[in-house]
Amino acid sequence: MSNVPSDWEVVIGLEVHVQLHTRAKVFASSPWGFGKEPNEQVDPVVLGLPGTLPVVNREAVEKAILFGLVVGAEVPERCAWDRKNYFYPDNPKNYQLTQKDFPVVVGGQVEIELPGASRNVMGEHKFIRIHHAHLEEDVGKLSHAGSGSLVDYNRAGVPLLEIVTEPDLRSSAEAEAFLRSLVAMLTQAGVADCDMEKGQLRCDCNVSVRRRGDAKLGTRTETKNLNSISSVRDTVIYETARQIRELEAGRSITQETRGWNAELARGYVLRDKEDAHDYRYFPDPDIPTLKISRDTVTRLAKQVPENLYDRQRRYVDKLGLPYTAASVLVNDRALAEWFEAAVAAHPANPSGIANLVANDLLRDLAASAGAAGAFDEAAPAPLSLASCPIKPAQLAGLVKLTDDGVISKQQAKEVFAEMFKSGKDAAAIVDAKGLRQNSDTGELEKIVQEVIADPAVAKSIAEYRAGNEKAINALKGPIMKRTQGKANPVLIDQLLRKFLA
Amino acid sequence: MAEGFDIDHLAKLARLSLTAEEKALYSSQLSQILGHFQALANADLPATIDDARVVDEAALRSDEPGPVLGAEAVTRIAPASRDGQISVPRVVDDES
Repeated sequence: MSNVPSDWEVVIGLEVHVQLHTRAKVFASSPWGFGKEPNEQVDPVVLGLPGTLPVVNREAVEKAILFGLVVGAEVPERCAWDRKNYFYPDNPKNYQLTQKDFPVVVGGQVEIELPGASRNVMGEHKFIRIHHAHLEEDVGKLSHAGSGSLVDYNRAGVPLLEIVTEPDLRSSAEAEAFLRSLVAMLTQAGVADCDMEKGQLRCDCNVSVRRRGDAKLGTRTETKNLNSISSVRDTVIYETARQIRELEAGRSITQETRGWNAELARGYVLRDKEDAHDYRYFPDPDIPTLKISRDTVTRLAKQVPENLYDRQRRYVDKLGLPYTAASVLVNDRALAEWFEAAVAAHPANPSGIANLVANDLLRDLAASAGAAGAFDEAAPAPLSLASCPIKPAQLAGLVKLTDDGVISKQQAKEVFAEMFKSGKDAAAIVDAKGLRQNSDTGELEKIVQEVIADPAVAKSIAEYRAGNEKAINALKGPIMKRTQGKANPVLIDQLLRKFLA
Repeated sequence: MAEGFDIDHLAKLARLSLTAEEKALYSSQLSQILGHFQALANADLPATIDDARVVDEAALRSDEPGPVLGAEAVTRIAPASRDGQISVPRVVDDES
C-alpha cells in the first residue's frame, strides 16, 4: 500500500492493451501465437507489401463487441479504422491501423472490489468507468543488440483491444483491483487469455496528483508498457511519491512519457520517439466503415457470462456461502460452474460443498498441477478442472453422506483424499473401508447406558447435571472407543441428553 | 511560415530535407490544398460517416489462419538481417 499524505489525492487512468483470443491476425490471415521463431508468423498483408489489402477478422470484431457487452457499454451502429502515422521499425507499414473517432466500444463500467480488513471480510466495491475501447493491430517486437536493433514482426498485426478508463482510480490498490476484475471479466467471457508472461496484457498508466479539494487535475505523466499487475501497482506508488516530492519542493511536473524498470523498481523518462504525438491520423482508405448489425449484438449478448460480483452476491445472499469461499469460487468461471453442478446434485448444503471445493479440492488440484500463477503472481495456479478425478455429482454425494450422518466430517476428509486418488464414488469408499457410522439406535442405546453406569464417569455426569454443558463431551470418548469410532456423533449426543435428562 | 502549418515541422515528420525554393513552392501549394478543405468544412453537411464507404459484416474475414511467408522470405526482402530478424540501426527506448 502506498502512503499518500492525506492532503494529497492521486488520480489514475489506465490504458489496457489486451490481445484478443483469435487464431488469425486482425487484418490478415497469418496465424499468431507465443514462442514461435522470429518472423515465422508474417504474411504480405502484415508487412503492408504493395498490392495487399487489409480485411478485418470477424472474430476479433465480435470479441471486441462481446467485451463491450460484458462492461455494459454502448455498441455503436458503426465503427471505422484510422491510420496512426509514425516512423519506427516496430511497424512495417509506417502506420498502425487503429480506431480514433469511431471505436467499437463506447462507455461501460467495471465493478471492482478492494481488499477487506482481513481475508474473510469483503472490501469496498466501486465502479470504474470505461471511456471507450478500440480495436487495433499490435506492433512488432524490437530487441537491442550492440550497435543495431533486431525486428521480429510475429506480433505485428495481432488483434489488440485498447481499453481506456476514465480517470476514476484513486490509489494503487484501486488500480490493482481494477486489473484483477478486468482480467477476470475478459477471461471468463473468453474475450482474451490475459497471460501477462506472454505479453497478452500490457498497460499504460497515467498518474497525476492534486491537493485534496482541488477541482482541476494536476499535470499527468504516462508510464508505458507495464506488463504485470505488480508493475502497475509499483508504478503508481513510485510516481505518486515522486510527483508529491517535486510539487512540495516548489517544482512543477512535466507532462512526459516514462518507462518502468521492474528490476530496480524505479521509473525513468523515456527518450521519446521524435514528435511521436503528431500522428497525423486520417481515415484508412483501405478498410470501409463497418456497420454492426443489431442481430449480431443480440447473439453476442447471450454469450455474456454472469458478472463475477453478481455471482458473488448470489452465492452469499441466496446460497448462504461465507464470503471467503464465495470470493474464491467466483474468480474462476469453470470452478464456479463446477461448484454449481455439485450444488444442483445436492441443493441442501451449498456451504458444505463450497468449503470442500474452495479448500480441499483447490489445494489438491494445485498440488497436482504444481505450477505457479501465470498472469497474476497472487492468484492460484491455473486449474485443470477438466482432468479433476472427482466429478461434481461425486462431491455432492460425499457431502450428502456427511449431512445424513453416515460418516463424520473427519472421515469425510479421509474419503475425499481417497476419491481424489481413485475417482471412486464416496459411498463405495465408505463401504470398502467400513466407515459407515453406527446409527442403529437400539445397539447404541445399550452402549450409552453401559457407559453412563460406569462409576469412572460419575463425576462428569454430576458436573453436566449441575449445568456444565461441556462435561457431556467426556462421556463421548468411551462410547466412540467401544464402537471403534463408528458411532454417529449426532445420535450419541441425542441419546446422552435423553438418558441424563 | 504559411498560415495553419509549419513547413519545417512537416518536412521533419516526413523525413524530407527541402531547399529554400522547395519550401516556398510546397508552402504555397499546401496552402491551396488546405484552402480547398476549408471550403469543404464550411459546406452545410450532416456530421455522419460517409455512407458510400459503409459495409456490413459480410465483408469481414473468417478467423481461419492462412499461409505465412516464412522467416527466410521475410528477411530476404529486408535491406539487412541477422538470425531470422530484420536488422535496423539501433533505436533506443530503454533506460540507458
